[in-house]
Amino acid sequence: MDQMYAYKCTKCGKLHHPRYVVCQNPECDGREFEKLPLEGKCRLLTWTRVYNLPEGYMCPWLNFGIVEFENGVRVTGQIGFDEEIESGMELNATIGVVREKSILYKETVTAPQYGFIFQKA
Amino acid sequence: MRNVGIVGVGHTKFGKSELPFIDMVCAAALEAMDDAGAKTGNKNVINQVFVGTMGAGMVSRISGIASAVVDTLNIRPAMAETIENGPASGASAIKLGYMAIASGMCDCVLVIGAEGMRAVSGWEGTDFVATMLHPEGEYKYGLTLPAFAGLFTRLCMDKYGLESRDLSIVSVKNHANACKNPCAHIQAPVVLERITNKAYINATNPIVADPLRQYDMCPVSDGAAAVLLVAEDKKAELGFGDKKFVKIAGIGSATDTHVVANREVPSDLLAVRLSAEMAYKMAGVGPADIDVAELHDAFQILEIAESEEVGFFKRGEGHIAARNGETALNGSKPINTSGGLKAKGHPLGATGVSQVVELVRQLRGEAGERQIPDAKTGLAVNFGGFGNNVVSTILTTK
Repeated sequence: MDQMYAYKCTKCGKLHHPRYVVCQNPECDGREFEKLPLEGKCRLLTWTRVYNLPEGYMCPWLNFGIVEFENGVRVTGQIGFDEEIESGMELNATIGVVREKSILYKETVTAPQYGFIFQKA
Repeated sequence: MRNVGIVGVGHTKFGKSELPFIDMVCAAALEAMDDAGAKTGNKNVINQVFVGTMGAGMVSRISGIASAVVDTLNIRPAMAETIENGPASGASAIKLGYMAIASGMCDCVLVIGAEGMRAVSGWEGTDFVATMLHPEGEYKYGLTLPAFAGLFTRLCMDKYGLESRDLSIVSVKNHANACKNPCAHIQAPVVLERITNKAYINATNPIVADPLRQYDMCPVSDGAAAVLLVAEDKKAELGFGDKKFVKIAGIGSATDTHVVANREVPSDLLAVRLSAEMAYKMAGVGPADIDVAELHDAFQILEIAESEEVGFFKRGEGHIAARNGETALNGSKPINTSGGLKAKGHPLGATGVSQVVELVRQLRGEAGERQIPDAKTGLAVNFGGFGNNVVSTILTTK
């Protein structure tokens, strides 16, 4: 299973997600990043349940959320449960398949893509 | 810098187009040229054509649309470029037209915005629009633009006490305005009670991206709109001496983080604020000077948030102004007199040009039943991505 990472600028220490080419700190121009595994305890900032999904999702709806980790990194991902979702709740960020297939250069690539799936803490 | 203004406008009826894509684009272009009295062939004075479109190549399977238009309209050898800035492609194309004339390189520029979105299935269309999201951090999760609007709306609800009913109020207002606009996609009045009554709301106004319901977002439309820009100092020489000149007084545009989660304050629309400030500064006006505004209400929450970010209302109070009717046709700050994206429709690349066409009609006093009396200065905000690239335009007849 793929690991998800926070990308730490080796010059100023700022943490990033997703991956950037240049450090996002306006005072820094770092271009090298150290990969730190990113998962576990986080807090839900906002969420939505979407009923009109793009092509390729064979389910009636999906829940999505933006969370903040204890180290301040914010990420967007899927919420892996349906009941009692509330802004502000503590969650556990796990890693799982978020897209079964993707279309690249006119060829359907069936290799699953991994990303964050938030579960109840 | 030279003064640049608009002497001709054109606008197809938004909705499901019966015309092939190029014909639809040319219909808007010819209407704008005829409105101004611009000729084709040997009498052509257009130096440059810009076509703003997000997906002509991807959805309509026609790349290089600007080159095709120049040939189809017989205005060769005018320069031609196709411009892409997501749903803000139209306003970006006008901005580039302005720059081309202001720089002295051109005297007359035809700008068209167009999108054919009904040619593909809803699934494909949703996926096409979602391709502007961050590929690693957003798109791969199945996130869509309505998903981000849902996430954003909940933040605003938690922070400012905005309610679902406030979104419906904006929607009802824009539907009412669209009934007075012959170019609008949906010309049907909507009754607030019908889309808010808890007894049957899930039947009449189902949830699409919680907390957003069907009437909280725009429909899927085909459409094209066009404007003819000229240098004021060449207006008479080029044959437009007797045409009303609506001046482009200010243009501003700004970008924000691609990843929405990485914004310092995710409930703010920083690029809207910065682009509006830039346009106000260039035009030498402020929010109080705006008589009529077209704001990018792809989702009703955006009309409310943008009305705050451009300085019409205090942050967190836009929904209260909407409740009080301040943004209606007879209110103190009329917003989306055209029906907005909500009811006029939102053919992505066409929208920014369509907004400017509506302002020109208002400032010329040609907006019919939806006319704002004595409107002299107007503001349009065209919102790209989920707010990561925004273009604001100020027009005036003062």
